[in-house]
Amino acid sequence: MASKFPPAKESRSIGRSFVLTIPIAIWSALMFTAYAHANRSQWIASLITVVFEVVLFFMMVRTRSTYRWRRWFFVALGLLFPVGFIHEVISMRGTMGIPIEEMIAGRTPFCFIPIPLLILPAALTKMLVFPGSILPNGGMSGGGMAAMAGIWLAVTIVVGKGWCSYACFFGGIEEGVASVPPRARVRKIDPRWRYGPWAVFLAMVLLSLALFEPAYCMWLCPFKAVSEYVAARNTVGVVQNGIFVVLFAGLVIALPLLTKKRTQCAFFCPFGAFQSIFNKTSVFDVRIDKSRCTPCVLCQKSCPTLSLTEESIASGKTLMSCMKCGACVDACPRDAAVWHIRGTEVSAKPERARLMFLYAAWAMAIMFGGGIIAEGLATMLHIFV
Amino acid sequence: MLNSFNMASAFALAEALALGLMSGPACVASCGPVVVPTLLAERSGLRLHGLYLSTFLATRLCGYLLFAVLAWEFGNLGNLATLPTSARSLVFGPIHLLLAGALLRYAYSVGRTCDRSCKSAELVTIGAAGNHRIPGAAALGFLTGVSLCPPFVAAGVRAAEAASMVAAVLFFAAFFLGTSIWFVPFAALGWVRRNEAVITVARMAMVLIALYYFYAGLTILMRKNTYGF
Repeated sequence: MASKFPPAKESRSIGRSFVLTIPIAIWSALMFTAYAHANRSQWIASLITVVFEVVLFFMMVRTRSTYRWRRWFFVALGLLFPVGFIHEVISMRGTMGIPIEEMIAGRTPFCFIPIPLLILPAALTKMLVFPGSILPNGGMSGGGMAAMAGIWLAVTIVVGKGWCSYACFFGGIEEGVASVPPRARVRKIDPRWRYGPWAVFLAMVLLSLALFEPAYCMWLCPFKAVSEYVAARNTVGVVQNGIFVVLFAGLVIALPLLTKKRTQCAFFCPFGAFQSIFNKTSVFDVRIDKSRCTPCVLCQKSCPTLSLTEESIASGKTLMSCMKCGACVDACPRDAAVWHIRGTEVSAKPERARLMFLYAAWAMAIMFGGGIIAEGLATMLHIFV
Repeated sequence: MLNSFNMASAFALAEALALGLMSGPACVASCGPVVVPTLLAERSGLRLHGLYLSTFLATRLCGYLLFAVLAWEFGNLGNLATLPTSARSLVFGPIHLLLAGALLRYAYSVGRTCDRSCKSAELVTIGAAGNHRIPGAAALGFLTGVSLCPPFVAAGVRAAEAASMVAAVLFFAAFFLGTSIWFVPFAALGWVRRNEAVITVARMAMVLIALYYFYAGLTILMRKNTYGF
């Protein structure tokens, strides 16, 4: 992972950076009206969040570097999501566990990860296997599945798998953990593990259809350990929660510490595999300018999801699993790894391509993650303010 | 008398066929976790996939008929859903465990087959070395055939009303025919180009699904609920 950055690129002027940041500042201010409520700690948290978002974007524009600034936002999102979420769940139910009554009533909070698991059962039976409502106010999130799936689809068509590096409120935890050790202890990783997300995706789609349940949520989601677990009322429930905790400890804590990679995202997450498909619809991608590439493979080493191989570098492209985090672009000392808009020359104004992508990705990040960060901060501030 | 018998038999078979056609999607959903990854692990080609599906469906029919005969003999065909828990556990727990074992063996054998004859148009075989190896599709077809799935119970309840064991077996055969039509589209997976990625994904998925069947088998044997709520 790109913890050691190459010499800084030539900075953009403060005035020009300021002007380029204005659209994001306006967007953040608009979102602020959604975050801020009557509560004083929420108001303060929202203000801090908006300043945080705008300053980070300003720094991305000014320094022409993406990864290191994005990481602050993403890690904050990952760490503050459980804080706000668990607080809300306990306030409403008195426990982190989901009881069966809540499921039957369709009041289960909906997250984006089961979206691919719902498609086949819905197509064949016109029924949803997730115990939530498609209507507004159907879940604790208040938006209902239809709203969440609709907004996700709209933004993901534009940014592709960029979702996983800018809006996923789980990925930030492992990215934060991966950034802790100074260097990786495990460097050799069998490249076949990259197929893991597709295997989990295939198995979970088929099992969801066969068992008529969101199989991943029921059995394999590591993030149940830090969001809401199964309200265990017998041995099997304990087994389910045990699986969640072991997967979380292994994939989100231990392996990122050892490898400095986002191991859950790279080797396990079925949503990530599904999201890879949308890299084909996105107009933005990361390319390797072969005329500048030595190749020193610094980009390959810096990639947190093993989305670059020697073959892919030689062909000038990243693999389908690229999350557009910008680590490779920042790591390249010769500016050979570049942001790119499909249909244009690889070397044609990569900085403009980066900015256009960042406007879309950062607007999405603010819309999905801003409220979560503000809520988590407000929960913590509530103790002191 | 003969005419009325033939009419009744024809109606019963037509009903079984219709029941199979209507409940086919449920059968496909039920067998999907076994069929899809194992088909993806085979070599590409429509002919090979046709061979796989023929083998799978033929042994699945054997499983159906065996189950029908045994259930009729023990007088429980109409009570499949209400079998005593102990009996159900003893029958279906081991079947799930065997299914898990067969899938794991299949995932292991795919690598072996590819090492030896990647271009051959033979099905992946499992089992002991030498002449004792059988096509994996045959083992999986039989094991899914004797598994209890909702359409199977529906057919069992109706077949229990048949006048004789032969009539019940014929009812199951017609039901099987109806459900089998829904498996034909799986042959289209033969067009998917095979490479290391597809084969590895299929093998990994088989292992995950096997783990689920293993868990389900154990919980059935221990007579626990599958869910922890």
